[in-house]
Amino acid sequence: MNSVRCADLRKTYKQGDQDVIGLDGVSLEVEQEGFVCLRSPSGAGKTTLLNAMGGLDRPDSGEVYVAGKRIDNLSKGKLAEMRLRNIGFVFQAYNLIPVLTAMENVEFVMHLQGVPAPERAKRAGEALNEVGLEGLENRRPAKMSGGQQQRVAVARAIVSRPAIVLADEPTANLDSSSARHLMALFARINETRGTTFVIATHDEMVMSYAKRLIRMRDGKIVEDQLQET
Amino acid sequence: MIATSGIVFRLAWRNLWRNYRRTAIILAAIAAGIWAMIFMIAFTRGMIESMVSDGIRSIPGHVQIHHPDFRNDPTVDNLMSRPGGELAASLDGKDVAAWSSRVRVPAVISSERGSRGVTLVGIDPVAETSISFVADDVVEGRHLEDDRDRGLVLGRRLLERLESDVGKRVVVMTQGADNDIVDRGFRVVGVYESEIASTEEAFAFAGRATLQELLGIGDRVSEIAVLGTDRREAEQLYLRLADTAGADVEVLPWYELNSYLGATMRTMDGFVIVWIVVIFLALSFGFVNTLVMAVFERVREIGLMMALGMKPRTIVAQIVAESILLLAIGLAAGNVLAWATIYSLSDGIDFSFVGEGLEIMGAASVLKPSLGIGDVLLSTAIVLGLGFLASLSPAIRASRYQPVEALTKE
Amino acid sequence: MSITLRLAWRNLWRQPRRTWLTAGAMVFSNVLLIFLIALQLGTYQAMIDNTLGAFSGHLQVQRSGYKENQRIRQVVPRIRDVAEELRSGLGLNSVAARGEAFALASSASRTYGIRIIGVEPEFEPRASRIPSLVNAGRFLDDPVAPEIVVGEILALNLKAQVGDELTILGSARDGSFAAAVVNIVGVFDSGLDELDRSLAQMPLEFFQETFAMNGAGHAVVINAPGLFEVESVAEKANSLLPRGQNLVVHDWNDLQPGLRQAIQADLIGSWFMYGILVILVMFSVLNTQLMSVLERTKEFGIVLSLGLSSGRLGRLVLLETVLIGLIGLALGVALGGIATSWFETHGFTYPGMEEMAQQFNVPDRFYPDLNAISLFAGPVVVFAGSVLAAIYPMARLHWLRPVQAMRSA
Repeated sequence: MNSVRCADLRKTYKQGDQDVIGLDGVSLEVEQEGFVCLRSPSGAGKTTLLNAMGGLDRPDSGEVYVAGKRIDNLSKGKLAEMRLRNIGFVFQAYNLIPVLTAMENVEFVMHLQGVPAPERAKRAGEALNEVGLEGLENRRPAKMSGGQQQRVAVARAIVSRPAIVLADEPTANLDSSSARHLMALFARINETRGTTFVIATHDEMVMSYAKRLIRMRDGKIVEDQLQET
Repeated sequence: MIATSGIVFRLAWRNLWRNYRRTAIILAAIAAGIWAMIFMIAFTRGMIESMVSDGIRSIPGHVQIHHPDFRNDPTVDNLMSRPGGELAASLDGKDVAAWSSRVRVPAVISSERGSRGVTLVGIDPVAETSISFVADDVVEGRHLEDDRDRGLVLGRRLLERLESDVGKRVVVMTQGADNDIVDRGFRVVGVYESEIASTEEAFAFAGRATLQELLGIGDRVSEIAVLGTDRREAEQLYLRLADTAGADVEVLPWYELNSYLGATMRTMDGFVIVWIVVIFLALSFGFVNTLVMAVFERVREIGLMMALGMKPRTIVAQIVAESILLLAIGLAAGNVLAWATIYSLSDGIDFSFVGEGLEIMGAASVLKPSLGIGDVLLSTAIVLGLGFLASLSPAIRASRYQPVEALTKE
Repeated sequence: MSITLRLAWRNLWRQPRRTWLTAGAMVFSNVLLIFLIALQLGTYQAMIDNTLGAFSGHLQVQRSGYKENQRIRQVVPRIRDVAEELRSGLGLNSVAARGEAFALASSASRTYGIRIIGVEPEFEPRASRIPSLVNAGRFLDDPVAPEIVVGEILALNLKAQVGDELTILGSARDGSFAAAVVNIVGVFDSGLDELDRSLAQMPLEFFQETFAMNGAGHAVVINAPGLFEVESVAEKANSLLPRGQNLVVHDWNDLQPGLRQAIQADLIGSWFMYGILVILVMFSVLNTQLMSVLERTKEFGIVLSLGLSSGRLGRLVLLETVLIGLIGLALGVALGGIATSWFETHGFTYPGMEEMAQQFNVPDRFYPDLNAISLFAGPVVVFAGSVLAAIYPMARLHWLRPVQAMRSA
């Protein structure tokens, strides 16, 4: 079974007066426990594809299935519910809610899921341990380094055991050592938990962790290959 | 929704203090507005309370019974028998604190130095004690002892105008039965003072039986003044008495006997609501502005929360919760300030420099604010209700963002 | 247009919603202030005109002490001569002599205590409105005839009408018994219950005869051409008074102290309300301008480091506030003026108004008085308050250091 399947996605943007093609007939299946990197020059459609897969944005046409269910035609509220249950996100920046502590940020999605408080605390604690942030539970984002913030985001992304974690340029704002740590963390979680990762990036280091490498250009997939890690 | 209310509240609370300067300014504005709102209401209520209670003491009573023609033609021609039968039983009811029958005629009082037209009221001083003002307000000499007392109690100002004094004699001239002019000498036995100076010139008091004898009207009276146990229940008392009094008399409640007072009282409730709404509207611009700014500078965060799976209506709930919290704190602060102000002024504010102007309004010159729990609840409900409505627009706007657009917003 | 002005104007429209909300607070307050102040001016004018015009007039010449004690022997001797001298000395026709006494009036079936005024039939119509308010019969026309006009409620109470006889009984100036039989020739309706219930007027000379006044009276009523001339007329009248008779000129404030004080009492409440409205607008402006300064800290840091003085930046913020203030002023004056002028022609009333109006001697519809004062007083204060509120945000610019400012997020 696959985690995410996209069929013939098309999406055009307006940028000023010009139509910009974001996706131009993209079909893709991401297998469970996959570790996929999307690479392309910026503006070639990888963020658009990631957003469509995560139900953050609707394609103009085509179909998206997450965990076997079609999502591209869901209402805004249903879509939010779907993201809440099935998908973990790690963004490039502004990943955390500034008024919440690390712990509370990790607990945030479980709040929305209605997980009871004791279990919430236990799971959030475990997730923070797993990303190596024990002792920083009560810090607010402003008091943490960029790498630490991204690891909180990872903890939040995996804490409710989603089918898939989508990460858009997660290392773009990090120094190279933090970036390496983050990727090692992704790889370990992929190994131990079997969580599927789809990462959009143009960082060669990030790509070196991928089991499968997809290259896009002008809204199309131009290369899709497996690679040994 | 219930599951998320904890986190919604926590986010709302913390977000409130993120831009503490802005929050402090808008809180100060809300507190000042609420302070003015509550204080002004309490002040006006206090003034009107005193107007009404003074008014009721000079009407006097909550309900009065007259001959149907008496109010148009208040003379000895329009008298009625003292209450008997069903009406008498009805006046013994639990909701009647006191009642008294009175004779009331226009008269001229003359001293050797001058004369004045007054309303001469024959009272039964014992029954009258708790009903009208005169008993408590005799400041010199004595009050009438019983309804056969042959003395006269006058207001301070009238006595001055007549250049008379306690112990001196004055002549009372009035129209008796059969349109005969009757006159008799009375000794002034007491002087009363009133907060409303014109009252002191308008009313003179004599014993009821003495006056009945002078007028030659037997045991008949002009009016029956009934004081209920609670002014707010005057209407029920009035309806009950009107039921039993019979068709040959006219029963009226205080708010119709003195329609100015009644109208003032009714207008007051309207004023309270208008004032609350005006203050709220004046506040609402800054309030909505604050919310708009708060949403505007958090667009990316809102996008993040939506991306993570927060539903649009939870976003709405979060902004609304923030605005309600803001209002609730402002309300609490404003109320505390207003209560403190009212408490510190509990001896009343002296407006005697415009005393004669207040007299035209029927108010005393020392005004005490009076805060009713009803007004506090009303203002709180209106402010929270309107605040809720005012916050919906920025909240709904926030919930309409598309997560992707919001996340990438600069 | 200077560069600062252009910058300020553009800055306003970077956040159009915020600008409109801030200006909206001003417009709301301005409209309310214009309407309420116009309403007050209109109502006060009506209160003064109705209360003074009907009977008491702007000024009265009396024996000192008469106002307080109103004793019949506190007289102005040779009162018609005094009135005549005032008329010619002041060059005003609206001067009339009066005598005043309390007496018992009996009709065929009723007796009431009333206030009898002896008036000059020739001059009274120019000094007060009661002669023109006679709605049955006619006003007095013969200075010596045994005639009387009475208030409408009094006529009703006396069960008397035009053509009936009244018997007057009272005390004369010398303490003797005063009695007369007079014909009712007219009934007036002044609209003021107090006057309609207790007042009657008879010719002054007949009054003097009846009450043994020996040519004396109690008051000379003077109406100035307008409220603003009252003071100068009073001064002149004072200089014309015969010496050594202890006469004084009372202005309307002395005669009806309640009137001015009622207005003052009402003003205290209004000032409180207006003050609160202005303060709330000031908070709104303070909030907006402080936010707008704070969110531009970085931008300001850059221009400061480029060599712009913080004073120049302060002027920019001030100018922005002035521009919002002008928008609020212009829209407020326009909307408030339009709304108020509608009410100026159509009147304004509310439930309960009728009973209130009677208490204060005003018609039961309010007509706001829209003039330069009512139109601009409120908006100008709101404008000044708004500019004042921008001082704190401006002051913050003085503490701004370019480097820290540029670093702030």
